[in-house]
Amino acid sequence: MCKAQVFACATWRHMLLAAIAAVVLSSVGPAQAATLDEVKKRGYLLVATEDDYKPFEFVQDGKPTGFDNELLELLKKHAPFEVRQDIIPWTSLLAGVSTGKYDVALTAALITKERAKSLDFTMPIADATHYFVKRKGDQSIKEIKDLNGKILGIQAGSGLLQRLPELEAMLAQTGGKIGKVVEYTSYPEAYQDLALKRTDFVINTVINLQALVKEKPTVFEVGLPVSGKSYPAWAVAKGNAELLGFLNGFLAEQKKNGTFAKLQEKWFGQAFPDLPAQWEPEF
Amino acid sequence: MGAGVLKGGEWAIRRTGGSVIPAMTSADFISLLQGAAVTVALSLAGIVIGVPLGLSLAILLWRRVPLAQLIVKTYVSLIRATPLVTLGLLIYFALPAIGLQIGPVTAAILTLAINTTAFNCEIWRAGLTDFPKDQIESAQAFGMSWPHTFRRIMLPQVARTCLPALVNEMTLLLKGSPAIAVVGIVDVTRAAVRIGANTYEPLPPFLLATALYAAIVFVFVRAQRWLEGSSKAR
Repeated sequence: MCKAQVFACATWRHMLLAAIAAVVLSSVGPAQAATLDEVKKRGYLLVATEDDYKPFEFVQDGKPTGFDNELLELLKKHAPFEVRQDIIPWTSLLAGVSTGKYDVALTAALITKERAKSLDFTMPIADATHYFVKRKGDQSIKEIKDLNGKILGIQAGSGLLQRLPELEAMLAQTGGKIGKVVEYTSYPEAYQDLALKRTDFVINTVINLQALVKEKPTVFEVGLPVSGKSYPAWAVAKGNAELLGFLNGFLAEQKKNGTFAKLQEKWFGQAFPDLPAQWEPEF
Repeated sequence: MGAGVLKGGEWAIRRTGGSVIPAMTSADFISLLQGAAVTVALSLAGIVIGVPLGLSLAILLWRRVPLAQLIVKTYVSLIRATPLVTLGLLIYFALPAIGLQIGPVTAAILTLAINTTAFNCEIWRAGLTDFPKDQIESAQAFGMSWPHTFRRIMLPQVARTCLPALVNEMTLLLKGSPAIAVVGIVDVTRAAVRIGANTYEPLPPFLLATALYAAIVFVFVRAQRWLEGSSKAR
């Protein structure tokens, strides 16, 4: 009841003061992210992971698990300092790293041009070429051109949104267009709406979709690629070079001793031996 | 797990045309209950801070304390215009920027308390403004001091008239509390999201979460009725 009320008591003067206070608060600059030296001095590294991004990070029976969480366990053994983990939703994850609340976004964040402005990325941890997924047996979608005008479900604030121009270009070749785009806060809801026929296809990375179809083979079917090359990686705040170097060193070691490929096999169903050591995003 | 849970799961499977896999384990069920406990605990913390603090601020407004009145009015306008999620993010990420390190639980309680205090302040203010002046004048004619008048004459009556609106605000706070998941708190809604993300069946955990919210709100409303009854009996 009271939340629906308008500003009955607020005079213009108070509204103005409130606006000024909001501006003052928003102008508080971002905190400096901890450098590797500062991490060593304070004794711990604070990483943030997600909780609903299967198979990278998810929670099973109350415990965090998945590809990134297994790597995190290895990182804890590798690091000469303590590694602390906070599990938070995607919404606040990258913001948490760029403002210095967390030192590392230990998640599969797609490397994009936009994000590279405020974050630095490690070497890619998987292939993230975008594919579409459709309902099993949906005969109306067989080729890319069939996606013309169909309703698309995709995650809001995801790097995948920025790659839609590629699909647009593919469709334009046959005179087609992207239909309505529905954005979701996370993928489970997008899949549910696809199953319920509220949308016609969902775009996600090949790994996420393979994991989905493995779990629900009678409901969903992986379609075709709808983007060029794309890679996910861990992220640190822009310019935090020593910490980035430390993480890259750890990842390179896991690649060299074969653990990396083994974990990829376990969680993605395939290893990606040809991942680039560094990736400059086009989008 | 009760029969209702299984029914919800089966329904979801039929709707999505999936195979018959048990959608939720008993560990999932426990994590939902833990989430419900977190929801209740944090909301109660917000209420315990917010109701008396809201009253104190409303008294400042009602007595027209010069500078305090301006500050309180600004605070209320600002908070009424700020969504809980935004407030949570601001507290959790902006405070460290000015050198205040703050944990998720503290950030969550602060967010809920700051939010509900503003709305409680408005409820109490309305109650105080509507209070009949002649009662106060009579009390003072009998030589009662202002604090005494407030405690013995005003508060019991104002509290009774404000109770339904206060409980209403409590249930709104409770249902708005999933917003604090942005700082990493696993409340009942976040617990449901996690289960859905693992099983790709979001419906059964959400149905169960809804039932848990309904049960909690039911307890709040019963408590209100009981308080109303006992205050009338006096």
